[in-house]
Amino acid sequence: MTDARVPVTFTVNGEPARLTVEPRTTLADALREELDLTGTHLGCEHGVCGACTVLVDGAAVRSCLLFAVQLEGADVTTIEGLSPADGSLNPVQEAFRNCHGLQCGFCTPGFVVSLTALLAENPAPTDDDLRQGLAGNLCRCTGYQGIVAAARQAAGTGVGQ
Amino acid sequence: MTGVVTPNAARFVGQSVRRREDPRLLTGRGRYVDDVTMPRLLHAHFVRSPVARGTLTGLDVTAARELAGVTAVLTAADVNHQAKSMWNSMMGPDAGGPPPRVLADGDVRYVGEPIAIVVASSRAVAEDAADLVVFDIDPLPPVVTIEQALAADARVHPERASNLSGELPPAPQPELDELFDGAAHVVSEHFTQHRYVCVPMETRGLVASWDPWAQTLEVVAATQTAHESRAAWSRLLGVPEDSVHVVMGDVGGSFGQKMFPGREEHGVVIAAKTLGRAIKWIEDRTENLIAGGHAREETADVSLAFDESGALLAGKVLHVENVGAYPNLGDGMAASAAAIVFPGPYRMQRVEYAAKGVYSNTCGHCAYRGPWMMETVVREQMMDLAAERLGLDPLELRRRNVVQLADQPFTTATGVVYEAVSPAETLEQAAELIGYDAFREQQAAARAAGRYLGIGLSLYIEPQMGFGILATEAATIRVEPSGKVNVLMSTGSHGQSLETTIVQVVADELGVAIEDVRFHQGDSAATPYGPGTGGSRSAAIASGAAMQAAHETRDKILQIAAHLLEASPDDLELADSVVTVKGVPDAQVPLATVAAVAYLNTDAMPPGVAPGLEVSSRYKAPFIMFSNACHAATVEVDTATGAVTILRYVVSEDCGNMINPMVVEGQIAGGVVQGIGGVFYEHFEYDESGNPLTTTFLDYHLPTAADVPDLEYGHVVTPSPTPGGYKGMGEGGAIAAPAALLNAVRDALRPFNAKITSQPLTPEAIIDAIEAGTGASTEAPS
Amino acid sequence: MKAAEFRYAAPTTEAEAVALLGEHADDVSVLAGGQSLVPLLALRLATPALVVDINRVAGLDGIERANGHVRVGALVRHSALTRAGSAADAVPLLALAAPLIGHFQIRNRGTVCGSLTHADAAAEWPLVAVTLDAEIELRSAAGARSVPARDFFEGPFTTARQPDELAVAVRFPAWPDGAGFAVEEFARRSGDFAIAGAACAVEVRGGRVTRCAIGLLGLASIPLRADAAEAAIVGTAVGDLDPEAIGRAATAELEPPTDIHASGRYRRRVGAVVVARAFRTALGRANDD
Repeated sequence: MTDARVPVTFTVNGEPARLTVEPRTTLADALREELDLTGTHLGCEHGVCGACTVLVDGAAVRSCLLFAVQLEGADVTTIEGLSPADGSLNPVQEAFRNCHGLQCGFCTPGFVVSLTALLAENPAPTDDDLRQGLAGNLCRCTGYQGIVAAARQAAGTGVGQ
Repeated sequence: MTGVVTPNAARFVGQSVRRREDPRLLTGRGRYVDDVTMPRLLHAHFVRSPVARGTLTGLDVTAARELAGVTAVLTAADVNHQAKSMWNSMMGPDAGGPPPRVLADGDVRYVGEPIAIVVASSRAVAEDAADLVVFDIDPLPPVVTIEQALAADARVHPERASNLSGELPPAPQPELDELFDGAAHVVSEHFTQHRYVCVPMETRGLVASWDPWAQTLEVVAATQTAHESRAAWSRLLGVPEDSVHVVMGDVGGSFGQKMFPGREEHGVVIAAKTLGRAIKWIEDRTENLIAGGHAREETADVSLAFDESGALLAGKVLHVENVGAYPNLGDGMAASAAAIVFPGPYRMQRVEYAAKGVYSNTCGHCAYRGPWMMETVVREQMMDLAAERLGLDPLELRRRNVVQLADQPFTTATGVVYEAVSPAETLEQAAELIGYDAFREQQAAARAAGRYLGIGLSLYIEPQMGFGILATEAATIRVEPSGKVNVLMSTGSHGQSLETTIVQVVADELGVAIEDVRFHQGDSAATPYGPGTGGSRSAAIASGAAMQAAHETRDKILQIAAHLLEASPDDLELADSVVTVKGVPDAQVPLATVAAVAYLNTDAMPPGVAPGLEVSSRYKAPFIMFSNACHAATVEVDTATGAVTILRYVVSEDCGNMINPMVVEGQIAGGVVQGIGGVFYEHFEYDESGNPLTTTFLDYHLPTAADVPDLEYGHVVTPSPTPGGYKGMGEGGAIAAPAALLNAVRDALRPFNAKITSQPLTPEAIIDAIEAGTGASTEAPS
Repeated sequence: MKAAEFRYAAPTTEAEAVALLGEHADDVSVLAGGQSLVPLLALRLATPALVVDINRVAGLDGIERANGHVRVGALVRHSALTRAGSAADAVPLLALAAPLIGHFQIRNRGTVCGSLTHADAAAEWPLVAVTLDAEIELRSAAGARSVPARDFFEGPFTTARQPDELAVAVRFPAWPDGAGFAVEEFARRSGDFAIAGAACAVEVRGGRVTRCAIGLLGLASIPLRADAAEAAIVGTAVGDLDPEAIGRAATAELEPPTDIHASGRYRRRVGAVVVARAFRTALGRANDD
């Protein structure tokens, strides 16, 4: 099989990304390797763990289940794009920090992106909404206690409204 | 150093200080192995055996080598002879076991065993090349289960006399036999526990780079210990230890799986040396599941002897562990540790603890959070079974046997001494927090209405080992010329928050602002030697080293300041980075000035005092020390489907003084949820041919946020005799939780007399147990 | 876990898409939501030479009501059906089933038709399609045809769709207003493929059931209808209905598959429970005019 690379142009965190990649390169791998945005992590590469979650046109998706070549014209936001440029933390990140919602940190970007999307869609979630909404991201260190607490705090402070 | 240090009033210790680690991890700026890039980096991928046992022939890598983008494909012939030795420091060179090998050679012994290493321009190309590697395997009947290993119709390792990896034979104890013979009640049971695994969210990996001119190996590793990795690779390659440099950046969890470099890491290091290149390897999730290291598949036959009043007299255990084909630590058995703590929190007089480790054609054993935990799993279930036999409530039976503070120092049946542990206090606090008596009433009312609620307790003692390679921990404290403080530790924190807790400890001990202290670890060239982070050693042992170094540093600061202030060191206090003469606020000198004198203005130093403000101190840990906790869980079982809902989960824990309560609770939570996962959701399964069946997250199920309740905590504080009064506690959640949950389900199903002694407790297993108990179906009546 | 190489095409019209499928029928995969396909590619369980990405094909993302049906185009995502306010409101079972699928990140990309053509016997859309006697519209270079759901699912991951055909839409018949609907699943964790599930639609008039559909998930290699149980229910007075007995009747003759997650016997037991729960709920929601 020849090395048939395909050009694709999309926006990442507000900046244009012009890539030429093999069709089989996932969005996750393209972000990490072509754009050096390594905050998006690979935990399973089969769409279960959520460590690779990014926003595509505002919707939270598993970037390991998208090929980069599919993203023509799309608007992608990664954890780096959600983080304030001035070195501070956004309200969701602050809530995680306040509530010990991370230990090793590997799953954390995926959770922050997912919770951000969740609260944008549902600014006043019930506890069940939060737990169900977070169930698509796996964590092994925290037992989810700090994560659910962070989600409650972020929701309570009106994040997403 | 012994005794509790009484320095300044604690300002940061004891508070839930927000973590230093968080900003970079929350913003995607963590630096995990797969985030590391280097110029001309190559990527490795392993060809692995698809067969559990068989002869390997016809290995042909020609087509793979010729694929565009492939630099090399290495086989046993290329690699294995370069592995000069493969032992780890904890066990030493004479640990025995099967002949270790990096790559399979002539035969394969478990599905997933590495056969060849492909090194290519990308992981994708390496996988393409792997698909082109040709080989034949003539399958042989594998040994998969404990029963098969013991029956020994086939031998996993022809080089060994049997399938036994190791044995703790029972030691004759006439006094024990007497106790059993004379006992009013003897309760015996057989327990089985299934195989479940660590599953850190970051898989194993490393970036290894060999410089042929400098003859040096540089590695960034996903590891719990940079120094042990350095030692292992220096031995592996047969190169001087100082030519190996290992750094750990951020590590995405481990739970024991990254404690020792494995065969794959060794293979990548050898490949790097062979090619003189930088090579990255990160396993994918399937590899991590099938080959990353397994745990927990054990059985135990237990007998407990009681007198008429319910006093626990003696116990006998036969513990068998399935250690797979290549356990990564000696014989792969945790039974020696289990034997020590089997008496747990009870005053039993005698224990006989026998054990066997058996090989099988499965993935080898690795440490998993509290590797010896089977002792608590079975002991705590036995207490509930005995309580039923004796007609006592399980809480009451425990009350009658638990070691009290007044009993301490208490020498257990296994010869260790408990002092400053509080199992009785945690038992009472857990019972109170969960509302034990009120729950019993609630349970009775629910039963009358056809609903099945249950409560389960798990009371345990958690050891922290401090012998052999674990005996010391070190810290270097450097007060820089500016007065800022750098702490270099021998640890390998990978989620344990040491970047924050050590800084809390040092800031308090030195009397400096917490923002002025910075923590560094995990660099074999720059940080002191240590065994890494694991075994619940952070709070007591790592802090012990930090406190010791800080205390010495503080002494020197005061010595210099005393000279500058023309006062006696005893008259000085150091707080907020300023040294002041007590009662004379104007007589002060900032720490920055003291530091500047020590480095830059050395003529102003006190006579006879060496310049500089750098202290290296190595702390000797106690041979063994203990923390303890009591877990209590309430559940409801839906007898139509077997589904279990955890209603409440309470942990009353005593880890002495807490450096950071938020961190303590986080460690408990992670362990408890791993216990929930193990009992109800996670099961690593093999079929009869030794083929792994749970090879992705689609089949190996981890609990999610929707599957766990809010945990509730109570804290009892019984300071340890070690500096700061801290105790390690990180493994406890995973050790204690399973028994609490098993006991709760059994308690819920008491009306059915359901036998609950094996795991996992899937809904189907629960239905089967209900039906086996009564012989009647529990489908809704028509 | 990187996919094997493949060529990639992103047609912008149905005609282009089916021409590609026709030309490469022996070695092609269709990429819509990708939530089922991409893991197969990553695990190298599927190694097509060509992947045809239909996400840019015009006219496939509509939800329309017409002629007593709701027509759902091939690019309609699960998430579109979790929200009220579209034409899909005319088929309440859609909004009841959609939230049960995976997690919201999956629902943002996965498609209804993708799920139907993937044909996992434990998936929700095949269950709903069979329960409501939906029709799957297929198009090829040679023409178009519709296949009733009952004939569409042939075996595990096997459907009547030929390799050169593209599923362009699915039509769900709407029931008259007042019917009651429910979906009930038993899964180990929320979002998992269910061990057993049931979808129920029931219409009540004059105190009797006048129409009933019970679909079963996870209890065979394809979704099933409990035809005999349905026939026994129709005409029965509401007060004489016994949901538990209905559950048992709907599942008694089945021999569900055994796998590492559940035995066939256990699936049958749980199947009876979920049928009973779904029926009771649907009945409770039915309005008797």
